[in-house]
Amino acid sequence: MSELLKQRASSRDLWTRLTVFGVLAGLGCLVLIGRLYRLQMSLGREYYERSVNNFVKEQKIPADRGLLIDRRGEVLADSRPSFDLYLTPYFCGKSCDEVVGRMSAWLGLDAETSSRVRSRLAQARGLVRFKPFLVAVDIGRDAVDVFEAHKSELDGVDMVPTPHRNYRRGTLAGHLLGYLSEVGPEELATLQTAGKDYHEGDYIGRRGVERAFEPVLRGVDGAERVVADAKGRRLPDRSGLIPPQDRIRLPRPGNNVVLSIDARLQKVADESFPGKAGAVVALDPRTGFILALVSRPELDPNLLTGRVSRAQLAALAADPYKPELFRPLQGQYHPGSTFKAVTALAGLQHHVITPESHTVCNGGYTLGRRRWRCWKDGGHGDVDLHRAIVHSCDTFFYWVGDHLGLDAIAETARAMGLGKPAGIGLDNENPGVIPDVAYHDRVTPGGYQKGFALNAAIGQGDVNVTPLQLAMLYAAIGNGGTLYRPQVVRRIEDPEGTTLKTFAPVVRAKLPIEPQNLAAVVAGLTGVVDEPGGTAYSHRLKDVTVAGKTGTAAVVAYGADLHAKLDYWRNDHGWFAAFAPATDPEIAVVVLNEHAGHGGSAAAPTAMAVIQAYFDDKKSDEAAHAAPPPRPALPAAEPRAAPEPEKKRELGTRAPSAWPATESATVSPIPSPAKRVRESATVAPRPAPWS
Amino acid sequence: MELTARAPRRLFARFPWGALLLTCAIAGLGVWNLASASRTVQVNLWMSQLLWLAGGLAAVLLLALVDYRHFRSLAFPLYVGVLGLLVFVARYGRTVMGARRWLDLGPLHIQPSELAKLAVLVVLARHFDEHPPPKGGNRLRQLLVPFALTLVPAVLVLKQPDLGTALIVAAVGLTLCVFAGIRTPTLAILAAIGVAGAAGAWQHGLKGYQKKRIETFLDPDGDALGAGYHANQSMIAVGSGRLAGKGWGKGTQTQLSFLPEQHTDFIFSVWAEEHGFVWCTLLVLLYLTLIVWALWVAGAARDRFGSYLAAGVAGLVFWHVFINIGMVTGLLPVVGVTLPLMSYGGSSLLTVLLAVGLVLNVQMRRVG
Repeated sequence: MSELLKQRASSRDLWTRLTVFGVLAGLGCLVLIGRLYRLQMSLGREYYERSVNNFVKEQKIPADRGLLIDRRGEVLADSRPSFDLYLTPYFCGKSCDEVVGRMSAWLGLDAETSSRVRSRLAQARGLVRFKPFLVAVDIGRDAVDVFEAHKSELDGVDMVPTPHRNYRRGTLAGHLLGYLSEVGPEELATLQTAGKDYHEGDYIGRRGVERAFEPVLRGVDGAERVVADAKGRRLPDRSGLIPPQDRIRLPRPGNNVVLSIDARLQKVADESFPGKAGAVVALDPRTGFILALVSRPELDPNLLTGRVSRAQLAALAADPYKPELFRPLQGQYHPGSTFKAVTALAGLQHHVITPESHTVCNGGYTLGRRRWRCWKDGGHGDVDLHRAIVHSCDTFFYWVGDHLGLDAIAETARAMGLGKPAGIGLDNENPGVIPDVAYHDRVTPGGYQKGFALNAAIGQGDVNVTPLQLAMLYAAIGNGGTLYRPQVVRRIEDPEGTTLKTFAPVVRAKLPIEPQNLAAVVAGLTGVVDEPGGTAYSHRLKDVTVAGKTGTAAVVAYGADLHAKLDYWRNDHGWFAAFAPATDPEIAVVVLNEHAGHGGSAAAPTAMAVIQAYFDDKKSDEAAHAAPPPRPALPAAEPRAAPEPEKKRELGTRAPSAWPATESATVSPIPSPAKRVRESATVAPRPAPWS
Repeated sequence: MELTARAPRRLFARFPWGALLLTCAIAGLGVWNLASASRTVQVNLWMSQLLWLAGGLAAVLLLALVDYRHFRSLAFPLYVGVLGLLVFVARYGRTVMGARRWLDLGPLHIQPSELAKLAVLVVLARHFDEHPPPKGGNRLRQLLVPFALTLVPAVLVLKQPDLGTALIVAAVGLTLCVFAGIRTPTLAILAAIGVAGAAGAWQHGLKGYQKKRIETFLDPDGDALGAGYHANQSMIAVGSGRLAGKGWGKGTQTQLSFLPEQHTDFIFSVWAEEHGFVWCTLLVLLYLTLIVWALWVAGAARDRFGSYLAAGVAGLVFWHVFINIGMVTGLLPVVGVTLPLMSYGGSSLLTVLLAVGLVLNVQMRRVG
């Protein structure tokens, strides 16, 4: 009996416990349901948005950069499709090493690149492993084929299409055009702080026009929104997860920059320059627009834009000829005898001399206990201003300098644009040096001495100018006294070819020099080329009267007889500064040939070739326009209509009188096509590995 | 043992078809859900799951023929056998993702740790049946043996390492200890020891990744792309399901592989994302029904052994469901615990089916 009671009691006890357990289980489930309510009902919208953000990846569609076009419409820089290789460490996992090996074997990575990739792989930890990094820029067409064929064996390697800058004429005007490279991390931070739309991996103009006109040339990248899975692989959006109107934002290409450079003249200047290092500047003395700008040794912008290896960069930096120096504006040199024009004008303006003043050159000039030698040991005999310029007599100018004093020379030199940047607005221009008494008191041990004026008078001593400054100065002498600011860009066009902005000539100064004084000097300069015995007489042109001045800038002060025995680095710089025609000039040219000896032989031939080419081109252009091609009814609609074969023009043509005409600010003589045929570099977007 | 001699027809007259239907309903939803979850892997996981389900149901029906009281005498041999397997797998098992859990039996891969849950359940049921607690409940001294019986397999599983299963084994053991009757002061002491033990385990027992999981649980946004990634993505999946879900096969988190382990431990996120709050609640209620049914069987059982078995199974299912859904919804740290009948995996499915089979068996042989 008691057994049964006991059993009943324990049974009741059991049910109590079971009820407690049941209630506890129910409470547990209630907690779960409560949690689900919070996530799905209270926070559901927020989590839904996060799930959308998870799979929507924005993929950049890079915008084409604006074109660089020469004054006649030839495209000098555009974009072409290229393919870059990226590697994501996480996706190659344990086989990363083999993948790198295969890449170097199949895709021709050099040893430097593969060791860089290996060390990058070794450093990748944590989240960095998910981040793709650049392995190779712009792999060749063969490598693209190989990659496509072996994709499955190259885990983690992605090929990303990117527009790559293409400098069609190679090294031609390389310094002037500049190049691009990837923005660095610090630079990127600065740009972004300034509100600029730059992102990692973007390219930015580094030098020349590419840099100066970066905001104009750069387009606005577009974006494509795609569905991607957790590994960032793009998937087809079959069920319409992203609404069609949200899928694509088209890129806007950058604007085109039309240069004042004439590619034909640039090529002639480049090819006729004989030296290892130096500069050629050609410009229109009527406007200040540059026609050709050569810097030697040349830079290869195609190489420097992305593909340059560290070794190549080191070689560039270590090159004793300093190819990175943009010599026409960054190199400073003694102007040598080309400066005599300045000294002569200073003498005339300060009434120290008249065109009729004369002195006797017996091979030098004595001041105090020192004797300044003329380059001609035997002397020039009786010399007036004209003869002194034509024969480049040093003694005459020592005499002028002695009577002028250094400050008077400096005053005139500065008024003619020396001693401060010419203002071309590219890279960092060298201001040059125009010494005066105060300058010597400041920098020269022992202070100013009277003899310094004599050195300066013949463009030696501490006088330093850039080839560009000298070119602007000679242009001003030739055009009757207007000192222009040098410019290389004539126009900015939108991608369709419509002109957005035209650049007008900018006058820096009117030379404070009376016309008869200018005329006297111009006559002397003309004699240099035109009169027998002139220092450039042997290089004169048949059809065109050229006015010019040779210069031989001593690098090391030795007697003239020693120069033949000097090695390259100690030899003199050869100069030639000229304009043509001598009256009413259309072109001014300065040639500097470093360490090449006498300007008459080392520099004048190049200048003459450029001047000759300019007038030849002008003649053939005029002939072409005299017999104009059939004018299309709508020239704007047919950009490549009726190309003139001898001119390689890319554009349609316009009224016969339009080219070449005097440049003016408002009338643009260059035909402006409504639509320029553009080789689009925008390729069908592919999944970027980082998306 | 006269009951075993009963004709199977009479026996199955008492067979609880309702409970089996409930089990099959949950498992059926599981297969359907798995078919969506495995669309990305190009393998018909749901087919394989369906085969396991069929095999498991056959095993359950076969098991029903054998009176559960036979397991009473078989408890110790079974327990020792499972321990042996655990030791064996620790030495010769197949290593998958850093853990030695798998035993290769030809084409079948078995996880002995799953069997350990059942072994502990059966052996404790027998122990408490043989040693009924005194009035007022067990004291610590009486619990030493049951603790040992629980902890030995639990530690072996923990060493594999498989924190989730070890936790379940321990939870099932503890549940039975409490269910058998325990004095309130003893329970308090145990709770204190438990807290101290957790601290000790944190210092010495846990692997780095296990600690990391708990750290990220405490601060989920601290490392949203690292260790917190799984928890975060799972919560996004669950939350984004909202009221009605995104639809079968349309869960972006699932189909675009943002979910970790989406076929196994995180299967509930798939369900939640694609079917929403309403169906999540329904699923939880189905589980609760299963648990309440097992508890009811425990009350109706003809003997204490049967009661303990059924209650143990109720505890097993509850802890699995609570820990799994808690982890998937960010309520608990991430530990590897499957969702019964929903998660992909033969061993897991078979274990739950066998456990349910035990309860069916007890119910069939109840008095009255």
